[in-house]
Amino acid sequence: MGLNITAILMFVLFVGITIYITYWAAKKTQTAKSFYTAGGDITGFQNGLAISGDFMSAASFLGISGLVYLTGFDGLIYSIGFLIGWPIILLLIAEPLRNLGKYSFADVASFRLQQKPIRLLAACGSLCTVILYLIAQMVGAGKLVELLFGLPYYSAVMIVGALMILYVTFGGMLATTWVQIIKAILLLSGATLIAVLVLIQFSFNVNDFFKAAINIHPKGVNILAPGGLISDPISAISLGLALMFGTAGLPHILMRFFTVKDAVEARKSVVYATGFIGYFYILTFIIGFGAIILVSKNTQYLNELGQLIGNNNMAAIHLAHAVGGDLLLGFISAVAFATILAVVSGLTLAGASAISHDLYANVFSGATFSEKKEMQVSKIATVFLGLLAILLGITFEGQNVAFMVGLAFAIAASTNFPILLLSIYWKKLTTRGAVIGGSAGLISAIVLVVLGPVVWVDVFNYEEAIFPYKYPALFSMTLTFMGIWFFSVTDKSKYAHLEQAKFDAQFFRSQTGVGIDKSLNH
Amino acid sequence: MSIASIKKIKKLFSDLQKARREVVLPLITLTVAPYFGFIGVIAFNPNLFSKLVGSGSLSIGIILGFILILHIFLVTLTYSYLANKKLEPIIRKLIKTQSM
Repeated sequence: MGLNITAILMFVLFVGITIYITYWAAKKTQTAKSFYTAGGDITGFQNGLAISGDFMSAASFLGISGLVYLTGFDGLIYSIGFLIGWPIILLLIAEPLRNLGKYSFADVASFRLQQKPIRLLAACGSLCTVILYLIAQMVGAGKLVELLFGLPYYSAVMIVGALMILYVTFGGMLATTWVQIIKAILLLSGATLIAVLVLIQFSFNVNDFFKAAINIHPKGVNILAPGGLISDPISAISLGLALMFGTAGLPHILMRFFTVKDAVEARKSVVYATGFIGYFYILTFIIGFGAIILVSKNTQYLNELGQLIGNNNMAAIHLAHAVGGDLLLGFISAVAFATILAVVSGLTLAGASAISHDLYANVFSGATFSEKKEMQVSKIATVFLGLLAILLGITFEGQNVAFMVGLAFAIAASTNFPILLLSIYWKKLTTRGAVIGGSAGLISAIVLVVLGPVVWVDVFNYEEAIFPYKYPALFSMTLTFMGIWFFSVTDKSKYAHLEQAKFDAQFFRSQTGVGIDKSLNH
Repeated sequence: MSIASIKKIKKLFSDLQKARREVVLPLITLTVAPYFGFIGVIAFNPNLFSKLVGSGSLSIGIILGFILILHIFLVTLTYSYLANKKLEPIIRKLIKTQSM
């Protein structure tokens, strides 16, 4: 594919609109409050769209439709796994999070525990998650843009990095939220359009549609059955846990709950988000099967070896061309690029807030703290993370980064989620327990992934993995919870008693919202 | 704040706890059980999901998968409905008593 004019024009239009939004948002983004939370008056519906935008990354749009294209049913396992975290967030986390926190989930974790150690740990957990996610997105962006727009890899990575620095530094959460909302609408409409154009060819008869796919796919009727994605029970449960609880520990998602005014709006956000995301995964499934039927045998989309041009992740893009010609291809390419841009912006903002709000304001600044300085630090942190993302994006070109999102989920499930959950609900939690258990989870998740098949074999090319399972969450989460429990109940220090004594008041606030940090009380 | 209103707050808060448990616990079960059931079948007895239904173009696994996606959304919708109906009135009363 050469230079794609429609795609470039549509993308330039998107960038133009989003830069205008950033200019508008910059005027309103003068305080730390507005920088981190968009002023706190985003509605539940808008936040639901923004959350689903954060979640519908290019990786999940292209990756899951590609997985469905390749394996059929197995793609559904991932979709459901990514969705199942939402009721958990809603039932256990969303409302207490909004009632207790201000800018980041570490506010909640450190509500009654000691600020410095807890913030330090939460910031480590957040930054690891954010940076791994960023690398995966940047490498994906580079490859995608190289293929779709005919631009060189490094220039694509630099464009993404530069735009994201611009949005976040000047427009803060307000610009990031609106960029995400626009993109979510574009992506949902684009995916709906492809799905409708595919199904129309079968007069919306689902039986005929699946039958056509079975007849074409080399695996035949087996695409309707579980394949090799999950081979043993331990992997199944481990992946299930990581997906289920990882979502509830992703800092860029958790941060969105501070942009709404109260727990009621936070609740609404999750219902809308779950609806949008669920609908989106149904679309990716139709798109994957559509690509089996309309793309897999069309030589226009295949290379000499009979594989998809690009790779299997391009299934949705080729399908857009197959059903809607150059115009739809251009639109979907632009949407895919916009998606990456919006997601990296959200990630960078979450990373920057971990640096400026958790590390600078609450750990390192001490007596020199001022809100103005915190703002400056957050902007410097944004630029730093943006440049780091560009650098890492270029460094990891051509590397296998498939494990990174999985690792990000494992860390989120093994560190961020347990500390957050137990700090809200478990009276006996102490700083010592949280720090030791949380660190054990963080380290074990990383070590087990490195020693496991996805890094030890696929990246380092050793014959056999030292740790046999692809997904560490079952082991690392167990270690976290055991560690937190043991080192909390054996903690007899005077701090421990104080921390436990503060629980009842915190619990009252978390359940009722009395004393909630409002958007106007600054 | 008077002793009477402190007592009232305590009572309301324990009502809230009870109501919340009654809403949240069943819904958590309705989230976790079907999901691990789904994953469990894939891990232990995948053939169950490969069975074809109807005119042979859909499998049980795919149909249940789609139902599960819908079910997850319905769980969030149900919680939202129950929270507004059963929890919010207690929370409002609590806040009113608190500010008296």
